[in-house]
Amino acid sequence: MDIIPQIIANSLIAGSIYSLVTLGFNLVYGATRFVNMVPGVLAAIGGYTVYYLFSQLGFNLYLSIAAGIFIAGIFGYLSDRLVFRKLRRNKASNLVSFVASLGIFTMIQAVISILFTSQFQSILDVTQSPTTYQIFGATFTWIQGMIFVTAVVAFIGLALVLKKTGFGRAVRAVSDDEEVSKIIGINTDKIISWIFFIGSCLVGLSGIFVGFDVGISPTMGLFIILAGATSSIIGGIGNIYGGFLGAFLFAFVENFGIIKISSEWKPAIAFSLLVLFLIFRPEGIMNKKK
Amino acid sequence: MDYLIHLSILFAIYGILGLSLNLVMGYTGLLSVTHAAFFGIGAYTTGILMAHAGFGFFTSLVIGIVLSGILSFIVGAILSRLSGDYFVLGTIGLNYLVLAVFTNWYDLTRGPLGIAGIPKPNLFGFSFFESSHFLILAIAFLLITFLISRFVVNSSFGRALKGIREDQKALQVFGYNIFSYKLAIFTISGALAAIAGSLFASYITFINPESFDVMQSVFILAIVVLGGLGNLKGSLLGALILVVFPEFLRFIGFPSEVAAQTRQALYGLLLVVLMLYRPQGLIGEYKL
Repeated sequence: MDIIPQIIANSLIAGSIYSLVTLGFNLVYGATRFVNMVPGVLAAIGGYTVYYLFSQLGFNLYLSIAAGIFIAGIFGYLSDRLVFRKLRRNKASNLVSFVASLGIFTMIQAVISILFTSQFQSILDVTQSPTTYQIFGATFTWIQGMIFVTAVVAFIGLALVLKKTGFGRAVRAVSDDEEVSKIIGINTDKIISWIFFIGSCLVGLSGIFVGFDVGISPTMGLFIILAGATSSIIGGIGNIYGGFLGAFLFAFVENFGIIKISSEWKPAIAFSLLVLFLIFRPEGIMNKKK
Repeated sequence: MDYLIHLSILFAIYGILGLSLNLVMGYTGLLSVTHAAFFGIGAYTTGILMAHAGFGFFTSLVIGIVLSGILSFIVGAILSRLSGDYFVLGTIGLNYLVLAVFTNWYDLTRGPLGIAGIPKPNLFGFSFFESSHFLILAIAFLLITFLISRFVVNSSFGRALKGIREDQKALQVFGYNIFSYKLAIFTISGALAAIAGSLFASYITFINPESFDVMQSVFILAIVVLGGLGNLKGSLLGALILVVFPEFLRFIGFPSEVAAQTRQALYGLLLVVLMLYRPQGLIGEYKL
């Protein structure tokens, strides 16, 4: 049996999930210019909201997903409103902002563990085997198909909003230069709040998809944010289009890597890639050399 | 009383970790979230050599320090070229990687099962089996670490580090080789962290990968940030507060699983509050 088509399919699914985190991470990074750990824990919030509403309370699946996305978005918005906006006013360095984001990450992760225990949970009923499809010898479930389609739609939608709308122009202006945007009359705090909300929604969705695909645990966020950050660096940090490509490249390297090595070493493969890029091409594949 | 001795030993171990991380973070201005990896190398070296190979504590301690020093030298050689955000990400990635080795190199580390039955130190026939005796040993190592750190930061080498922290460009203009300074302090810091690891392994007698994850690195970072960057006494103060304070949670009657999580939530919150209102920490001399 040829396993290559299956590995390609797995890479596309993993890449779709990473691309959502990367889009969110890059949007926020572009506007605030510091490595933010909070998106990782927002992914966990998204996953756990769906777990609570759908798996425990028995709400409608799509309603639960919508709620998960929205709640992740709200938490992202609050992180900006309560912490990062103040730090911007204080002219805090990017390392101070990073440590604050690490604090929020640590705190929320612990609270999730207290509420839902630190056990691994699955959102979907594992006793029911889902409908599967086959293309070119690769097998995938309908949920995995949905993950891929959603990621592509989200990317195209975001690219269109950034390109065509006034809001998108404002976002790009803030990402270019926050000070100048303020001077020409853009309400930068409001735009950045929206960026946090939208970016966090995307990250929340990725967390929900991770929950569908493999399951959730309170500590899931660390791998997700590192995957997002690595994909961003591969693609060129802050670059939306590069990040999308980077996420798929990252997923392909990771999934093809485990043909030769056992799958527990996935993180090791992934972060070797991060270190290689940090050393040899820190500006990524899409950004110009500084 | 036993309980008080237990807390004092933990204070000494985390004090060593705080002091050694402060050299990198507080004195050189490099934000590192990987200290638990070096802590773990020390602990695993002592654990494996003592429990599975019959080595003595002090031999395993020295080997642990050397191994951790070598690893931090190699990693430092890669990461010291990076600045700011990228350095931070690289350190988190490293901690994740080392944790993957602890968890998956089953033949050596026994994976998630961990290493049990690690003996207590023995010096010329004198055993440190009693907690009170172990405390003396731990405090002695804390003192040694403190003196080494003080010597480093007060030397001309230490002044150059502070110079790098304040204005890297200026130091470069004066002809300092920034890269080798950063590499040297990163190596010293990693080697010192291994001391805490050896003590931890021998004191607790059991280690598993969980004790050396990224959250542990965040905890050590919180010690340094709370006490104050660029002040050695600050790291001791930070370790004292963060080791002792959460114990009250147990007294109020939190079950131990919840107490551990609540402790984590509290130091997460503490980091946020510090960054908002006092980024230099309690008695710090430097802001990130």
